[in-house]
Amino acid sequence: MQEMTLDKMTAGQGVPPATAAGMAALDDPLEWPTFGRQDRSDAALWDSHLLIEGMHCAACANIVERALRSVPGVLQAEVNGVTGRASVKWSADMTRPSEWVAAVHRAGYGALPVTNAEALAERRKTQRLALWRWLVAGFCMMQVMMYAAPVYVAEPGEMTPDILHLMRWASWVLTLPVLLFSCGPFFGNAWRDVRRRQVSMDLPVALGILIMFVVSSAATFWPHGWWAGEVYFDSITMFVFFLLTGRLLETRLRNRTAGALDDLMQRLPASVERQLPDGSFERVSVRRLRPADIVRVLPGEAFPADGELVEGETLADEALLTGESRPVRKEGHAELIAGSYNLASAVLMRVSRTGQDTRYAQIVAMMEQAATDKPRLAQLADRIAQPFLLFVLLAALAAVAYWWQTDPARGLMAAVAVLVVTCPCALSLATPAAMLAAAGALARCGVLTRRLQSLEALAGIDTVVFDKTGTLTNDRMQVGSIRVRAGWDADRALRLAASIARHSLHPASRALVAACPQGSETVGKVEEIPGQGLLAETAHGQVRLGSARFCGAEQAIHAQSQVHLADARGWLATFDLDEDIRVDAAESIVRLRAAGLQVEILSGDRPAAVERVAERLQIGRVTADSRPQDKLAHVRALQAAGRHVLMVGDGLNDGPVLAGAQVSVALGQAAPLAQTRADFVILGSRLSAVVSLLLHARRTMRIVRQNLAWAAFYNAVCIPLAVTGWINAWIAGLGMALSSLLVILNAARLANIRD
Amino acid sequence: MDILFLLIPLSVVLVLAILAGLWWAIHNDQFDDLEKEGERILHDD
Repeated sequence: MQEMTLDKMTAGQGVPPATAAGMAALDDPLEWPTFGRQDRSDAALWDSHLLIEGMHCAACANIVERALRSVPGVLQAEVNGVTGRASVKWSADMTRPSEWVAAVHRAGYGALPVTNAEALAERRKTQRLALWRWLVAGFCMMQVMMYAAPVYVAEPGEMTPDILHLMRWASWVLTLPVLLFSCGPFFGNAWRDVRRRQVSMDLPVALGILIMFVVSSAATFWPHGWWAGEVYFDSITMFVFFLLTGRLLETRLRNRTAGALDDLMQRLPASVERQLPDGSFERVSVRRLRPADIVRVLPGEAFPADGELVEGETLADEALLTGESRPVRKEGHAELIAGSYNLASAVLMRVSRTGQDTRYAQIVAMMEQAATDKPRLAQLADRIAQPFLLFVLLAALAAVAYWWQTDPARGLMAAVAVLVVTCPCALSLATPAAMLAAAGALARCGVLTRRLQSLEALAGIDTVVFDKTGTLTNDRMQVGSIRVRAGWDADRALRLAASIARHSLHPASRALVAACPQGSETVGKVEEIPGQGLLAETAHGQVRLGSARFCGAEQAIHAQSQVHLADARGWLATFDLDEDIRVDAAESIVRLRAAGLQVEILSGDRPAAVERVAERLQIGRVTADSRPQDKLAHVRALQAAGRHVLMVGDGLNDGPVLAGAQVSVALGQAAPLAQTRADFVILGSRLSAVVSLLLHARRTMRIVRQNLAWAAFYNAVCIPLAVTGWINAWIAGLGMALSSLLVILNAARLANIRD
Repeated sequence: MDILFLLIPLSVVLVLAILAGLWWAIHNDQFDDLEKEGERILHDD
C-alpha cells in the first residue's frame, strides 16, 4: 500500500494538488448537482459520485470505502474497484463534500467529483442487461443439452416416441427465452440492416437462428407434418451462448479501458478569488468569471482565464502550453495564459478572455481539427466483411437451390449449416479479441488504449518522435555540478543553499532542496527579492542565493541554468542545474533502436537545452524551438517522406502533433486534454512502457494475422462442405464454436506482456 | 420410466426458478465488482 501511495505522489507532479481552496469550491451548493443528485424524499440527502485515483486493486476499494464511512454524516459509501468510482450518500446537515473528499486524501488516494454520473448509470444498465442475456442463454443451453444428449447416445428404438416428444417440448420451452430475450440484439441489428438495405455480421446469424428455430418447432409440434426431421434447439442455444460470450468479453474489456480514460478528464471544479467593488475578495466558481473581472491567484494555483497582470509579480509555469521548460517571469502588465500555473507569489490579474475564447480552448479546437485527418482502419475491415457476408448469403441460397428438387429438407439444413458454419465469429472476433486482450494487458500495467485500431498502426511504426519537456525529462530540474570558492567544500555549500532555498517555491530552489533534503543550517530571516534571489541571515552572516548579477558572480557563457551563492566576501558557490532526465530514458531509447526504430527529438524548448538532453541520450536527430504548428509540419514532412510516425508527448501544446502522427502516446502527467487526444496514455512516468507497448502491439498484430488466416482457412474448407450437405447443423454449430474458441484462446495469449 | 413425465417438466420449472434467482442477483449489484468481496476476508473488520 505504501508503494502505491508513493507512486501516486510522483504521478501527480505537474498538476497542483487539490488545494484547500479547490476543495472549498466543492462546498458551494451550486456545484453539488454537477456531481450528484438530491434525494427525492429528503432534500438534505445527496447522492454524489467520486472518481478515486490511485486504486490498483480491490483491496484499495475497501480502504477508500472505510475512509469515507468514517466521516460523520456519510450514510453510505460504495466503491467499485473495477471502474474506480465511488458513490457517497451524505447529509448536507451534517457534513460537506470537502470533508469526505479530505478523508479519501488522508487515506492516500486522489478523489475527484464525477460530473457524468448520468452516463455512468446508463452504462451500468446496459452492462447488466448484457450480463443477464448471457446468463439466460448459458443456463438454458446447459439444460437443453441435457435433453439433447440422450437422443445422441440412445440406440434406435430405446426411447419411446412420447418421451422423445416430451424432451423436444421441454427444449422448445427453454429455447424460447433464449430466442426472445438473449437474441434480442441480433434480431434488432439484423432488422435495422434490412431496413437500411445493408449487410452486417448479425444478419446471417439472425437468419440461421430463425430458420433453425422454425424447422425445429415444426418438428416438435407436427411430428408428421412437412418437416419431420431433427430438432436443433441445442445448436441454437449453444450458438447464441458462444456469440454472447464473445460480445460480453468485448464490452467488458472495452469499458475497462474506456472508463479509465474518461476518468482522466475529470478535475476539481476550479474556484477563484474575485475582487468585489469594495476591494474584498469572494470565492466563486470559474464558470462565473466575466471579462474585466479582477481575480487574485495564489501560488500553486492555475490561472483561470487569459488576462493581464495588474498587481504584483511572479513566475508562471507555462510548460504545458508553450513547451518552455523554465518558469517565465511575469511583471508589469504581462500576459497570463489560462491553464498555466502561478509559481511564486499571489498576484492580481484582469480577465480578458474566458472559457471557449482562451488560448487553451483554441489549442483544444486545433487538436480536434487534426484528429479528423486520422485514417479510418475500422472502415476498411467493414469493407472486406460486407462482400464476404453477401457471399455467405448467396452460398446459403445456392445450397437451397441445389437440393430443392431432390430433397428440400436437406437443402434447408445445408443452408443453415452454411449460415452457421461461416458464423462470422471467427472472422469478427479475430481482430477485436486479440486487440482487446492486448489492451487489457496494457491497461493492467498502466497503459491505456483509446483507439483499438491504433494497435495496428503502432505495429507498423518505424520512427519514434519524442517531445522533450515532461517526456524525456521530468518537469523539474536537478542539481548537476557544483563549483565552490577555495576553502569550501561542495557539500557544505549545498547544505547552506538548500537551507535557504527551503523558504522559496522557485523551481531552482526546489532543485536545491531535493538535492539536499536535510539542509540543517540555521537560517534566520529570509527575504525574497523577485527576479533576483533570496537574501538570508545565517550563522555565516548575510548570504545571497540567486542570479549571477545578484550574487556578483561571473555570468555563465552557455545557456545552462545556474544558481549562485555569495556571502559578505563575495562569490561562494555556483550550482549548475540540469534537466532531470527520466531514469529509464536512456535504456528505453537503446531498446527502441534495437527494435529497428529511428528515434528523434522534437521540442519547443531552446536549442541549447534540447541539444544537451539529446547528447546525454545519444539521439542524433533533433529539432528544437518548434511551435505547435511547426511540430505538426515536421511530422507531416516525415509522413510525406514515407515514415510511419509514433509521437510521444505530454503537453497541451503537443495536442495537434499527437493527433497528426499515425500513433500518439501521452505520458500520464500530461494535461488532461492532451491525454484524451492521444491513442495511448501511459499512467505514471515510465518511458520503458513505450517500448513494451510497441513490442506488444507487434505481437498483437502477429496474432491477429494468425487468427485471420485461421478464419479464412476454416471458411474456405467449411463452406464447400456445408453447401454440398456434408455438414449438418450440429456439426456446423460445433465447428463454429471450436473455431471461435481457438481464436479467443489464441488472443488470450496476449493477456500477458512479455518484455 | 413414467417418472420422466414428471421430472422433465420439473426440470424446466427448476431452470426457470434458478434464472429468477440470477435475475435477483444481477439487479442487486451482486455482479458489479467481483474482486472486492473476495479480498474482504483479508481485512480486519
